[in-house]
Amino acid sequence: MGGVEDDEPASKRMKLSSEALIHLSNGSTVKESIVGSSRDLMARPLQSDGGEEVVGSKGVIKKVEFVRIIAKALYSLGYIRSGAHLEEESGIALHSSIINVFMRQVLEGDWDESVATLHNIGLTDEMIIKSASFLILEQKFFEFLDEEKVMDALKTLRTEISPLCINHGRVRELSLSIVSPSHCFTVRSPKQNTSRARSRTKLLEELQKLLPPTVMVPERRLEHLVEQALGLQRDACMFHNSLDEEISLFADHQCARDQIPSYALQILPAHTDEIWFLQFSHNGKYLASSSHDCSAIIWEVDANGISLKHKLSGHQKPVSSVSWSPDDHQLLTCGVEEVVRRWDASSGECLSVYEKAGLGMVSCGWSPDGKWIFSGVNDKSISLWELDGRELECWKGQHTLKISDLEITSDGKQIISICRETAILLLDREAKVERFIEEDQTITSFSLSRDNRFLLVNLLNQEIHLWSIEDDLKLVSKYRGHKRTRFIIRSCFGGLEQAFVASGSEDSLVRTLNLYYINL
Amino acid sequence: MDVDPRLYEQIAVNDTDVHNIIMSYLVHNCFKETVESFIACTGMKQPSDYLEDMEKRKRIYQFALEGNALKAIELTEQLATNLLEKNKDLHFDLLSLHFVELVCSRKCTEALEFAQMKLTPFGKEQKYVEKLEDFMALLAYEEPEKSPMFHLLSLEYRQHVAESLNRAILAHGNHPTYTAMERLIQQTTVVRQCLNQEHAKVIHQTFCHEYLVQRNSKLH
Repeated sequence: MGGVEDDEPASKRMKLSSEALIHLSNGSTVKESIVGSSRDLMARPLQSDGGEEVVGSKGVIKKVEFVRIIAKALYSLGYIRSGAHLEEESGIALHSSIINVFMRQVLEGDWDESVATLHNIGLTDEMIIKSASFLILEQKFFEFLDEEKVMDALKTLRTEISPLCINHGRVRELSLSIVSPSHCFTVRSPKQNTSRARSRTKLLEELQKLLPPTVMVPERRLEHLVEQALGLQRDACMFHNSLDEEISLFADHQCARDQIPSYALQILPAHTDEIWFLQFSHNGKYLASSSHDCSAIIWEVDANGISLKHKLSGHQKPVSSVSWSPDDHQLLTCGVEEVVRRWDASSGECLSVYEKAGLGMVSCGWSPDGKWIFSGVNDKSISLWELDGRELECWKGQHTLKISDLEITSDGKQIISICRETAILLLDREAKVERFIEEDQTITSFSLSRDNRFLLVNLLNQEIHLWSIEDDLKLVSKYRGHKRTRFIIRSCFGGLEQAFVASGSEDSLVRTLNLYYINL
Repeated sequence: MDVDPRLYEQIAVNDTDVHNIIMSYLVHNCFKETVESFIACTGMKQPSDYLEDMEKRKRIYQFALEGNALKAIELTEQLATNLLEKNKDLHFDLLSLHFVELVCSRKCTEALEFAQMKLTPFGKEQKYVEKLEDFMALLAYEEPEKSPMFHLLSLEYRQHVAESLNRAILAHGNHPTYTAMERLIQQTTVVRQCLNQEHAKVIHQTFCHEYLVQRNSKLH
C-alpha cells in the first residue's frame, strides 16, 4: 500500500500533527504522486499506521472497505479485468490470498483441501468452521450421489460429516437421500431434476454468508447499500406519487409538489342543485355524479377532458349515492329513502328498479363479482338482491342509518355501514361476526381503501380518523385542518398505491396528506 | 377413599373364571409346560391345536426378540398367511429389525442394499417416510449406539415389535389379543384412579402394593 513507510515506529507516527502528516503524504512515494490528483478530489485523508484512511465528507467510510465492495461489484457485473486492475492500482486486495485459494478449491471441487484451508484462515469461532465444513462435505456427498458412487457418499457421511456432531437433523435427511432420490431437500432449479447437488457457485455464496463479512465480502453489497439509500430517499419524499422505476441515482429523489393534483383542470356545470356524490369508474374512463336535483350524470373522460355522456333521470327524490359495477358496464343510483335504480352505462337506460313496499332505500353497493346488489333500507336493515329484482337476504337489526354509506370489501366478505350515529358496523357475511368501530363524535361519512385494510372516517367535529380494519380494529391516525359545519364532507384515499388521503372542506379547499409520511 | 375389605367377602368368585383368567395369560405368553401342568392339575379341557399353535408362536416370538427377523417372518408366513400383507406397519417394523441387525454387525453395504430393496418401497406412503428416516439415520454413524437413534437398537424396541407380532397372530386366529389378566388390572386401576380423584387423594403405590401388601397389613 502506498503512503507512510511501514518501518517507522508507531509511536513516532502518532505524535505527528495533522499538518505534518499531510506534508508527508504530499512528498513521499512515487505511487502517491500518480494518484495525487484523484486524492485532491476527495477530502483530506487521515493517515495512521496500517494505512487506515477514510473517504467521504463525514469521514465514516473506510477506504479499504469502500474499494473492496467496488471491486466486488465490478466482478459481479462481469468486469473481471477492471476488478483486477482496481485491486492492483489501489493496492487493496478484495480477498486475502488464502481466501482466494479457498474459493478456487471450492469451485474446483478439491473438497478435502478446502476443508483443510478452512482451518488455516484464522477464524476464531469453532461453530463457523464446523458449519462451513459441513456445507462443503455435504456438497461432496451429493456430488458422489450424482455420480452414483453410493458407497463413497456413505463413507463421507459416516466418517466425515457425522463426526462433526452438528446438525443431526440434516444428517438424517442426508441418510434418507442415499436411498430415496425424491426425498432430497437441497435447493435445485426445476430444470436440473437429475442432479441433487447445488451448483458450486451457489455453495460459495452459502459459505460466504457463514463467514464473517470482512473475510469474504458479501455478494451484491454495493447494490444493497444503494437500494437502502434510495429507499430512505423515497420514504422521505413528502409528495411521492411516482413509480419506483423513475427514481434516478444522479440526484436525490424528491417529488415536486405538482406530482399531486393541485389545481383545477375543468369545471363541469350540468346539475341544477347540490352535487352529493361522485365516483370514477374502476377503469377511470367514466365519472358518475349524483345530485339533489334528482338526477345522476355519467361523464366520459378522455385526453381532452371530461364531457357529458348521459343524464339519468327517473328518481323522484335527490340521489344520494352512485356505485359502479365491478366491470363498469352498469351504474347503481340511490334516491334518498326512495328506490335503487340500475342503469346501463353505455346506453343510459334504466334496467331495474329495486324497492320495498312501504320502505325506502338509503344506500347501494355492488358485490365484487357483480352478481348481487346490496342496499341499505330505512328500517335499518340491509338487503341483498339478485340483479333481476329478487331479494335474497335481509339482515335485520340496527345495521344502517337513514343517510349512510355502504361499502363491500373487494373479497365480498364484509359489509361496512354506519349503524349508529357514532358507530360503524363491519359485518362478516360468512362468519356472521359483527365488529364495531366506535367513535365519540357523530360519523358523517367513511371511505374504504382499495386494499381493504383501512377505513377513513369523517366526523362531525372536523376530524378525520384513519382506522386499520385488517385484524383488530385500531385507530391509526387523526387528521385535522379541514372545515366542516353544515355539509357532509367526504374524504378518500388516492395517489399511486393509495398513499394519500384527500378531503374536501367548507373553506373551498381540497387537502391532501401523505399517509406514509405520517408513519403508518 | 378405601372400601372396607370386609365388603369383598360378599362377592362370590367362580373357580372356573379364575382358571380361565390364568389360562388366558399362560396361553398368550406361550408358557407351554405350565399350561400342560395347569390343565393336568385343574382338569380343564382345552382344544388340542391350542398347544401346537402356542409352540409356533413361542418360536416366532423368540426369533423376533433375538433380532432374527427374517426367520420370524418366514414362520409367521407359514402359520398365518397374508398376516403381514394386511399389517403393513408390523411388516415394516419386522424388516427394520433385520436392518438394525445388519447395522449392528457393521455390514453397511448389505444394510444399504437391504434398505433399498425392502424398506424404501414403504416410503411411497407419507407415514412411513419419517420411520424410514429414523432407520436410515443409523447408517450415518460409525457408532450407531451413540447416535440420536440408539433406542432403535435396544431390547425394549425388539420386545415391542415381538409383542405386536404376537398380538397380530392371535388376532388372526380370532383369539383375544389382550389377556383377561391384563384387562382386569387395567380396569381396576382406572376405576381406583377415578374414585380417588373425586376425593383428591394421590396414589403413589403400584397395583400390587395396593392390593397385596396393604390388604395383608389390614388383616393384622
